[in-house]
Amino acid sequence: MYKISAENYPIIEEWIPPQSRVLDLGCGDGSLLSSLISKKQVDGIGVEISHEMVLQCVQKGICVYQADIDKDLSEWADSSFDCVILNATLQVITKPYKVIDEMLRVGRFAIISISNFGYLRNRIRVLSQGRVSSRIRLSETWHDTPVLRFVSLKEFESSLREMGIEIMEARYFFPLNFISKVQWPVYNLLAKEGIFKLRRLQ
Amino acid sequence: MSGQAITETRILPVDRPFRFESGRTLERIDIAYETYGCLNERRDNAILIEHALSGDAHAAFYHEGDKKPGWWDCMIGPGKAFDTDRYFVICSNVIGGCKGTTGPASIDPATGSPYGLTFPTLTIRDMVEVQRILLKHLGIDRLKCIAGGSMGGMQTLQFFCDYPSQFESFICIASAMKHSAQQIAFNEVGRRAIMADPRWNNGNYYGDISPEGGLSVARMIGHITYISEKMMQEKFGRIRKDKDSKAIFKPSFEVEHYLDYQGVSFVKRFDANSYLYITDAIDNFDLMASISSKERFRGQGRDRGVNFSDLRTKKGLVISFSSDWLYPSSQSKEIVRLFSALNVQVSYTDITTEHGHDAFLTDYRRPSELIRGFLSSLG
Repeated sequence: MYKISAENYPIIEEWIPPQSRVLDLGCGDGSLLSSLISKKQVDGIGVEISHEMVLQCVQKGICVYQADIDKDLSEWADSSFDCVILNATLQVITKPYKVIDEMLRVGRFAIISISNFGYLRNRIRVLSQGRVSSRIRLSETWHDTPVLRFVSLKEFESSLREMGIEIMEARYFFPLNFISKVQWPVYNLLAKEGIFKLRRLQ
Repeated sequence: MSGQAITETRILPVDRPFRFESGRTLERIDIAYETYGCLNERRDNAILIEHALSGDAHAAFYHEGDKKPGWWDCMIGPGKAFDTDRYFVICSNVIGGCKGTTGPASIDPATGSPYGLTFPTLTIRDMVEVQRILLKHLGIDRLKCIAGGSMGGMQTLQFFCDYPSQFESFICIASAMKHSAQQIAFNEVGRRAIMADPRWNNGNYYGDISPEGGLSVARMIGHITYISEKMMQEKFGRIRKDKDSKAIFKPSFEVEHYLDYQGVSFVKRFDANSYLYITDAIDNFDLMASISSKERFRGQGRDRGVNFSDLRTKKGLVISFSSDWLYPSSQSKEIVRLFSALNVQVSYTDITTEHGHDAFLTDYRRPSELIRGFLSSLG
């Protein structure tokens, strides 16, 4: 499964208050939750669709719920979590608006990270090679990759505004491990990834 | 595997009155049980296994001379899901059953003849209370885990909620917090089949021919609900066994022979009255009602957990099977929701399989991995 590296974990840890109740959507092998449990003593539950990943969570002692994020979020009551995380998973979801909406119903705030399709390297690849994604490897071509959504940071941010969602905090990941809070004029061209802390506008 | 592990069912005679949830009392009972593996010095590696409707104490290994092992041998043994090299595994026959623990076929000491329908009305909680007597006898007051599928899952949930301080964790497979109308309906048809058999004779058939026809029909209905439509089709389709038979209404389809075989082999090993009592207990099981009722602390229940805050540090694993239409995934999700609300660290997985409800007995690969991982994570 497509996964951003753990380099945004410190940001997520910074944004989550100790002992929060956390729901991690698309939790994979549970490594983010493990880290949040040990560093922030959170009470965490992961949601994961893949059996192999669920098994890895269970082996780690992480509480995991096998479900399809696109369908099953309605099972949780309003505000049953402090924070709902969607880390590097937005790209594989069929109904992103609905899921983001549900995240802010189930949790008081949400954390979403995305990789930036507007990033320079992606633009060059599209122009020069005519291919949408370098993530598409030999074994994973356009029709069977889990990645369904190609979105730039700018597009994503304007969608959030449209949905009445406030960006409480944002971090942009540039090459050479440079992380910025500031929307530089060319951030949509130069940032590889972004991560956002969100809540519904009152 | 070389050198099959041999085991035998032991009987614990309990020579003091046992009070049922209904208020009725039996002066004495027997409890049939088996154990596998060794209890460690700290006495903290015990796992209690709960059997389903037609199960018994013989969960694993072989009885002397038998060709078939216990009903969950695929899950219990050295290196298996419930690893007997690490854990001390216990399984007992439920009260009301017919495999060694006192049930309707047992002799009533007061009359010298079998209880039949004078046996008290049975509940899942009665089954749990009898197992507490066994645990006390074995000197175990804390268990690593309690686990079971189907009716075994119901006992698991009841036991875990009634005595939360006794358990570190639970595993509930293909079960429900209460039966749906459809589940009750199937059981009712089974019971009616038994009672419509003239040989049933209001439960007084001991010493005579038992209501074999009725009980086998009940079992046939059961088997239809235990496997998925797709699997039944793949296994049998419209294949005929004896094409040339001219006898009218004689089973000729493969599926008819399969059901007939299941029915006939079941009547050899199961008591019709036990079937009535146990299915009645299953249908009347309602976890929410039982843990929130005032009756909770009556009778044997004086030691039951006073509040559910004990559950906070506990862990649970709930497993359902995608093609199980008798105990659908939605019922397992309800269990997860309840225990999450009670702050139990509960994990849920829906295993993709074509085996239907029977998957908990037959499709053991993925559940084994999960259970092994879950138990190891407890430390």
